[in-house]
Amino acid sequence: MSTVGQLALLFIGAALINNILLTRFIGLCPFFGVSGNFETSLGMSLAVVFVMTLASTSTWVVWTFLLEPLGVGEFLYIPAFILIIASLVQFVEMYMRKVSPVLYRAMGIYLPLITTNCAVLATATEAAKPGFFKMNIDLGASLGLGEALIYTLGVSAGFGFALISFAALRERLDIAPVPKVMKGNPMAFITAGLLSLAYVGIAGWFGL
Amino acid sequence: MDLMLILKAVLTLSALGLITSAVLSTAARRFYVEVDPRVEAVAAILPGSNCGACGNPSCFAVAEGIVEGTLPVNACVAGGQSCADSIAVLMGAEACAVASAVSVRACGGGNKAERAYEYGGVQSCAAVARLAGGSLVCTAGCLGYGDCVEACPFDAIAMDERGLPVIDLDACTGCGICVHNCPRGGVGLLSLVPENAPVAVRCNAHDKIKDRKAACSACCIACKKCERACPADAIHVIDALAVIDYEKCTACGTCVSVCPQNCIDIHGRAASIPPRAGDGYGKNAPGFAVQDQATE
Repeated sequence: MSTVGQLALLFIGAALINNILLTRFIGLCPFFGVSGNFETSLGMSLAVVFVMTLASTSTWVVWTFLLEPLGVGEFLYIPAFILIIASLVQFVEMYMRKVSPVLYRAMGIYLPLITTNCAVLATATEAAKPGFFKMNIDLGASLGLGEALIYTLGVSAGFGFALISFAALRERLDIAPVPKVMKGNPMAFITAGLLSLAYVGIAGWFGL
Repeated sequence: MDLMLILKAVLTLSALGLITSAVLSTAARRFYVEVDPRVEAVAAILPGSNCGACGNPSCFAVAEGIVEGTLPVNACVAGGQSCADSIAVLMGAEACAVASAVSVRACGGGNKAERAYEYGGVQSCAAVARLAGGSLVCTAGCLGYGDCVEACPFDAIAMDERGLPVIDLDACTGCGICVHNCPRGGVGLLSLVPENAPVAVRCNAHDKIKDRKAACSACCIACKKCERACPADAIHVIDALAVIDYEKCTACGTCVSVCPQNCIDIHGRAASIPPRAGDGYGKNAPGFAVQDQATE
């Protein structure tokens, strides 16, 4: 397969087949927390794309040039990555506040929310040292920076897609004639379960 | 060998920590944004319960609005006069009066009200109100399961031994959350009145007098004694229920003393009517805020 084809497969595989929310069940707190409203879910998704990309890049660099050569990565990667991601998000927040107050207001509350969100940490870890998840696609022993970025974009796109579609569903369900006992969160849990079934089904669909 | 590994790990992590902290501290200086310190100061004066009674999303948003000048210094409904005064001093604005409100309960039934059925379900007014219209025969009375107590963000409401919620006027801010959370708030069981409203009618029933009497022994019987006795023409029986016009009320307390049902009583901050000696709920009744203070 050509390189472009492989990268496309990596993207699709990360976004849909291995959707982080609905087949990996990572990052479920924002999935239920901010999916009540379409607007906030959109803001959250954009913030996640932004933070995940930055986080993956930085963890990839630190892993490849610092932790791996020193041979301390295997047991040090989680504290090191948390440290890097948390301070990176802090830095970006300060920078945005100074440079673009409008963007800061739009993203402001979501940025600290996802500082060390499990989805961000998991994706950054997976991009730096593959093998964290049992994936339906083979990432090989290690990823180049470009591949890591494509993978991260795929995951965050999948996260955003699932979150936004779920928020849209929930907004419609709010006005649907749902039995009173099922209104609100119970219905959201059932909807999430059905969505998850559908996404798991995609993996079977591709015969992977 | 192992020692080297430990040393490496410690050094790597400390180096990472040092670098990131250096970057962050530089950034904190470099990208420092000046924030108007008055926003914090105003936010500290505001109640901070984010009750939303003023129509703004949070107390902090109100603080920002006041400092920017888009909101008046008396924007906070819940904080009342003292809050507005402190903010006015801080902002250098002229103090202005706040039309503060307090919540009032229009029911004196409680345990005296007849039950339509024995209820043993979820202990919540909202739940019992959905079950055949509530467990009371009276369709307007207090159900007594304390949803308002739960809802109050200022801990101003407590249930007393009569089975009625009692509003502590010192703590009540008039945010109206209890009114929204009361399943009968919409029909006037709980409502907001001016904070100095001197008297309150403790009945909200609108059905026929005969049915009303059968449902509760503490109801307004529409005898019009208060209407005739009121020297200020401030109280009228409308739809078979005494209604007080707080614009006209002079806090003389005549209606309180003439009511044969004891269902008009003293209410309101700084109401100066002496408590009435009487039978039933009159004298030592816990829960009539002003009377409580007078007897304590």
